[in-house]
Amino acid sequence: MPKSQYVDPGKAFEAGYIHFEDIPVCQYNKTLKEELKLYSKEDMIRIYRDMQIIREFETMLNDVKTKSNYNGVEYNNPGPAHLSIGQEASAVGEAYSLDINDLSFGSHRSHGEILAKGLSSIEKLDDKELYDIMKEFLDGAVLSVVEKHMNAGGNVKELAINFLLYGALAEIFARKTGFNRGLGGSMHAFFIPFGLMPNNAIVGASAPIALGAALYKRSNHKPGIVISNCGDGATGRGPVLESLNFASMDQITKLWGMDGKFSDGGMPILFNVFNNHYGMGGQTRGETMGFDMVARLGAGFNPSQMHAERVNGYDPLAVIDAVSRKKKLLLEGKGPALLDVVTYRVSGHSPSDSSTYRTAEEIEAWKAADPIEAYKTKLVLGKVATIAELDQIKEDITKRMTEIMKLAINDEISPRMDLNKEPAAIASMMFSNQKVVSMDPSREADVMMPKEDCPRVKEIKGKIRTSTDANGKPVSKMKMYNVCDGLFEPIIDKFYEDPTLIAYGEDNRDWGGAFGVYKKMTEAIPYHRFFNSPISESAIVGSAVGYAMCGGRAIVELMYADFIGCAGDEIFNQMAKWQAMSAGILKMPIVLRVSVGSKYGAQHSQDWTALCAHIPGLKVVFPSTPSDAKGLMTSALNGTDPVVFFESQRVYGFGEEFMKGGVPEGHYEVPFGEPDIKRAGKDVTILTIGAVLYRAMEAAKILEEKYGISAEVIDTRSIVPFNYEKVVESVKKTGKVLIVGDACERGSVMRDMASNITELCFDYLDGPPVVVGSRNWITPSFELEKSFFPQASWIIDALAEKILPIPGYVPTQNFTEIEKIERSKKGI
Amino acid sequence: MAIPVIMPRQGQSVESCIITSWNKKVGDTVEKGEILFSYETDKSSFDEAAPESGKLLAIFHEEGDDVPCLENVCVIGNDGEDAAQFAPAGEAEAAPAEAAPAEAKAEVAPEAAAPVTAQQISGAISPRARALADKTGADLLKAAPTGPNGRIIERDVQSLVDRGLTVSGAASAEYKTAVEGSGINGKVMLGDLNAPAAAQEVPAIAPAVSGPEYEDVKMPNIRKIIAKQMCASLSGMAQLTLNTSFDATKIMDLRKSLKAGGEALGLPNITINDIILFAVSRVILNHKGVNAHCLEDTIRYFNTVNLGVAVDTPKGLMVPTLFHAEKLSLSELSKSAKGIIKAAQAGSISPDLLKGGTFTISNLGAMGIESFTPIINPPQTAILGVDCVTRRLKEVDGEDVVYPAMGLSLTFDHRVLDGADAARFLKDLVVALENFDLLLTK
Repeated sequence: MPKSQYVDPGKAFEAGYIHFEDIPVCQYNKTLKEELKLYSKEDMIRIYRDMQIIREFETMLNDVKTKSNYNGVEYNNPGPAHLSIGQEASAVGEAYSLDINDLSFGSHRSHGEILAKGLSSIEKLDDKELYDIMKEFLDGAVLSVVEKHMNAGGNVKELAINFLLYGALAEIFARKTGFNRGLGGSMHAFFIPFGLMPNNAIVGASAPIALGAALYKRSNHKPGIVISNCGDGATGRGPVLESLNFASMDQITKLWGMDGKFSDGGMPILFNVFNNHYGMGGQTRGETMGFDMVARLGAGFNPSQMHAERVNGYDPLAVIDAVSRKKKLLLEGKGPALLDVVTYRVSGHSPSDSSTYRTAEEIEAWKAADPIEAYKTKLVLGKVATIAELDQIKEDITKRMTEIMKLAINDEISPRMDLNKEPAAIASMMFSNQKVVSMDPSREADVMMPKEDCPRVKEIKGKIRTSTDANGKPVSKMKMYNVCDGLFEPIIDKFYEDPTLIAYGEDNRDWGGAFGVYKKMTEAIPYHRFFNSPISESAIVGSAVGYAMCGGRAIVELMYADFIGCAGDEIFNQMAKWQAMSAGILKMPIVLRVSVGSKYGAQHSQDWTALCAHIPGLKVVFPSTPSDAKGLMTSALNGTDPVVFFESQRVYGFGEEFMKGGVPEGHYEVPFGEPDIKRAGKDVTILTIGAVLYRAMEAAKILEEKYGISAEVIDTRSIVPFNYEKVVESVKKTGKVLIVGDACERGSVMRDMASNITELCFDYLDGPPVVVGSRNWITPSFELEKSFFPQASWIIDALAEKILPIPGYVPTQNFTEIEKIERSKKGI
Repeated sequence: MAIPVIMPRQGQSVESCIITSWNKKVGDTVEKGEILFSYETDKSSFDEAAPESGKLLAIFHEEGDDVPCLENVCVIGNDGEDAAQFAPAGEAEAAPAEAAPAEAKAEVAPEAAAPVTAQQISGAISPRARALADKTGADLLKAAPTGPNGRIIERDVQSLVDRGLTVSGAASAEYKTAVEGSGINGKVMLGDLNAPAAAQEVPAIAPAVSGPEYEDVKMPNIRKIIAKQMCASLSGMAQLTLNTSFDATKIMDLRKSLKAGGEALGLPNITINDIILFAVSRVILNHKGVNAHCLEDTIRYFNTVNLGVAVDTPKGLMVPTLFHAEKLSLSELSKSAKGIIKAAQAGSISPDLLKGGTFTISNLGAMGIESFTPIINPPQTAILGVDCVTRRLKEVDGEDVVYPAMGLSLTFDHRVLDGADAARFLKDLVVALENFDLLLTK
């Protein structure tokens, strides 16, 4: 909602028509003669070779899956194999004009793309660069196998082809010598030095990630383009459609230039759909979609129709032609682009596919149109090569593939990770746990003014950093340094410190975030680093993942924790998993800010820490004081791991009540995992998660003053990781513990902690650890919230009813065992 | 007409706003829609436009003031109109809006305080309380559980320790039922544990039993009655036991001859127990203190002898009564005793025959018991325990002679009679039994 763009009611209702340009459909019609002018003989033969390599690779896997035997070599591969026999021309055609600055992301069916782009990169790199890449990768673990056991005749490119095929196959067979130590597997294999970015087993999930890579190039002025590959079935997925829109948004060309200060080019991304007609068995044209041709989608996203085209994917030269033209457009700043590459998957969705959804005639017809055979005929007719030459190439490939397979299944040469000998091998890859102040110290950050001049920085300078003044009188809310300020300080510092840092989400820029955390930052940080995203949670989080994969750092915001569901795959499968799935090759420095509401009813008031804590690979924190907000945000932004940063709307305006001397000035870090004793006591421990801290403090006060019970209040602050030592120490002292939070109690983090404390402190307990959470209901309206969220009195009730009966105390809530069983029976 | 301009509330959670600048000053003419002043919340900035045209009559807040929402900021009107009436009342800052915590006002209802009663004792104890008890030797049998569902929690153990209610390490293994301690501060010592066997049946919170295998069986009614009576007996009386023995040669000889020829004379199978019952019935009337009931502050001495006979039945201990034993011959007594014992064992005994005893005899001699402390059956004042026969030596005419000695254990209530009284009864009984042939002729 920039003020510079006036929304004119006069124009809004103006009569007229939307005009569309024709979308080209398979318009490539160059003659062989014309083509021979464009490509050398070697180029044309190499195209054939590359297609044949892919065909053989996939045939090998198909034989292994269906016959446990390839070319006389026995092997059983229990893992998945989504093969792309039939799609070779599309993959090779796409990769032909790409170089290593161009990044490609793919799907579960991406062996062909990996090989094609890998072969293309090998061709383009000079021998020294190529050899250095292979030597440095995993300390030469992959290279040494092919160097030692295969003869490349001293040819680095031939060696590199062995390297590529072996690295990919060993990865598919879950070998430690695979490209990702065997932790990625068939659907996730990738090799970044060749511009081969992670492929994804979730249909369509690569689209927002590729978008993030393009955003990285766009915001950090990096060369090259990004290809987002997916199948036609994936165009039914929200994240794909969100990404098409996100990449097309007007502001990139209209606002990001900031009056000539910065680039105003479009997003350098090509959404390439390998349209093989089926999403598994669902026929996209005629059954599961209505667009008739995928290329039509382009017309829906921007006036340039995303330069959409439909291309014959059975002709490698037609695909090369199209991709080259799109690449040129993207480099000219005219992105994004969309290609609908028509192809066909002769192989099944997977080897277990019995093709119930298509006829034998259909498959035979496509086999008859085989792209490799057709291309071979073209080369022979054009006298580019003889049949014998081409057959020799194929024979060599079969020989090479057999050798590679023997190496990849040899347990001595290609061992699997031994988790008995190295039990922590995977555990050590779940987090990178590094402290990296700037992801790119070589560059100055793009900013609009010195940090000291940022209006918000100036405002905070004049604020009082405690909640009460020297006389104990409450500081006026307007003058008090609050939780929002605690979040803002490390963020603005990082914007100046790390040139790669970007922040976005819904209403982040002009509004300053729905709760004012980014207020008055607009003046200091340019658009391409700080912008309003469309309401596209999948694309917001997914793009941050791609941004981080490329080496950047991102803070993305979901406004309400309840919207986590809208970005479920991106948070739970992508952001959380890629560090370990890449065997530690990728870092994931993302801070995902989510705020827990209240007052806004059932879909805007939920604490979903448990969902995030359950997923391996995510760090989860939930501060509720200005100092902790500042300290944990500083740690999150210095780290290299994905952090889900929970904030509570109840306390954004709260000042510092606990830290003597107020919120620390300057750099202040609170290490992840360390809970904090907010109030010392000796009779009972109250462990809090989030904003319930203040209600726990109130309960502690009542217990002390009315009942002479001294409560120790410990604020968890972090949820993952979490160090129990301080809690154990406290419970050993008190023997009694209540775990309190605003989440619905069933399956909550509180329950998990109660169980862990029981294990760790059993002999010291004077009663069971008791959880006081919200009811297992919908969050009712604000007026009824006190019957839903835990109140100070509930904490005392639970203590009196379950651990330490208090003479004279009359509970208001029913925490009895009978009630517990009844509620559980009813699922409430 | 003069109108006030208020500080708008920009959102439910906004309590106050800061005026960042004034575009007009007092006395200026303002047109409707003109910006009067700018202000900001913690999140955003806003401009406030004049709602009407007129003259700016008064300004109540200056730039930089933090103005509570909905409070009057200025007044627009015509010359001469009164603006003062709109001045915000006092400048006293309102207390922070956070309402005082709505305490769950504990109207102390005494009955709700739920004092822990015996019924609530579950035997449960928290790990922490157990650890503290182990460490301090707290006497858990005396704990008053105050935890949920009758659980003993830390404070209950601490209370025992504070009151000095502990058990010595040596005593703890054998300690099964609460006993008054004789050690320092009432600590239960090993020596305090010679409680009668029956007392072990008392339900109690037992200290840690090694081994997890046990079986919970509901107490049958008879056990509950026994338990109640035994406890009442022990806790309500000053009981002590005297042990002696007598030369059983004569009664054993008699028993032998009765066995051999009694049947021919139509005599019943007269047992040693019958003989003792008979002897007691003849001696006891001379010792009224042991044939009595102790009732509150009076003692009822009986002129008749109603002998309670302790009988081991499948259901548990029963004590049927042999009424007017002093009037029965040995053979009559034997017949009657057999009748009531049989009825008690069969469970068919009339309840009337289970009361009214004036003195009780309990015979464990057949089980090889050499000495024991029988527990008095209240309100009786004494009970005689009959022990087994052992071989002893005595000097007869300068020579050691072996004789069968039968033990007698008399527990009596010291409140009613003294040791010498009880001893005298025993002495007479011993004489009577040692000279049973003479007694029969009496």
